[in-house]
Amino acid sequence: MDIAELKAELETLHSASFGWALHCCRRDRAEAEEVLQTVYLKILEGKACFRGEASLKTWLFAVIRKTAIGEHRKNILRKLRWSDSSEATKTSVSPLEQPSEAFEKSETQALFQNALKSLPRRQREALHLVFYQGLSLSEAAEVMGISIGSTRQHYDRGKKRLRESLGQTESAYGIDWRRKENPGAV
Amino acid sequence: MELIGDEKRIRALFSEVRLADEQMMPSFVGVWNRAQSKTTRPHRVFNLSFVAATALLVCALVSLAWWTSRWPRSQERIATVPPITNGGPQNVGQLPVKAVVGFTPVPRPHNSERSRALKLAARRQAVLIAANKKAARDAKAIESWQSPTAKLLDSSSDGLLKSLPQLNQTVEELKSFLPSQPK
Repeated sequence: MDIAELKAELETLHSASFGWALHCCRRDRAEAEEVLQTVYLKILEGKACFRGEASLKTWLFAVIRKTAIGEHRKNILRKLRWSDSSEATKTSVSPLEQPSEAFEKSETQALFQNALKSLPRRQREALHLVFYQGLSLSEAAEVMGISIGSTRQHYDRGKKRLRESLGQTESAYGIDWRRKENPGAV
Repeated sequence: MELIGDEKRIRALFSEVRLADEQMMPSFVGVWNRAQSKTTRPHRVFNLSFVAATALLVCALVSLAWWTSRWPRSQERIATVPPITNGGPQNVGQLPVKAVVGFTPVPRPHNSERSRALKLAARRQAVLIAANKKAARDAKAIESWQSPTAKLLDSSSDGLLKSLPQLNQTVEELKSFLPSQPK
């Protein structure tokens, strides 16, 4: 696959790639953009080479995941090194709580995001890949670099825990839920 | 049934998230071009550490060249060094070092090996010269040595004892050698 062809393919996958990068970067937009740029750079420099062993989407997602993990580690080290980083973190707002995003202000979404955040990383990833990206469990397993059995376990446990945590607050947000399912009700 | 309903809920929530993400998604062209510009960015021409390393290397090479050009001369000097003399009369180390030790210069494989071999040879020469001098001194001393009790062995008939009779001497003459008998 030559670079022009690959570029066209990447363009069609850009939206999904950004969503996955955003998830891998704990919904930090700037970091997600940086990660995506690094991934494209890796592809251009030939550091990440698609050999056609898997589908382009799963390969790209695996590269994004690894890059995001690497970037996260670098950021942690950078924060540890710089003494004034504590001050910076104090002033900066967590990406999940950015007030600028009207979307994040939505109570249902905030509840959902918090519930997702409380899940272990693997479970979160499995749920995102299946529900958000519409991948099969085997494809999700390829992206996560684990066996399909483990992926199924993470997926089932994640779904169960998410349901539980959403159900706990259903009394408070139940009306909202039902409105979504059946706008005519209530 | 309820499980399916929960799944639907989760799916709906995720699709909401997806819609929101699409709104804040950067354009593909922008991200791609930025990545491309990073790859095509020319490398810095002037690298300070590279320059320092090159300068150091050049200095090392120049000093090595100078040292190797000086080396053969100093080696010759070591090979023809006259033996150390104490100034005494018993000194025997009059020959040049080459003759005394039979020193033959070894073919030089490397600078460090060569210098080590030469140092070793010079040390060996010095040891041999010292040993020769000592041996000569000892030989001289033994030649003129006398026992301290040699005087006690002297007597009046030393002449008789030390001289030998000749074959054609007469009896009368030989009698003179005999001690006088009382008549």
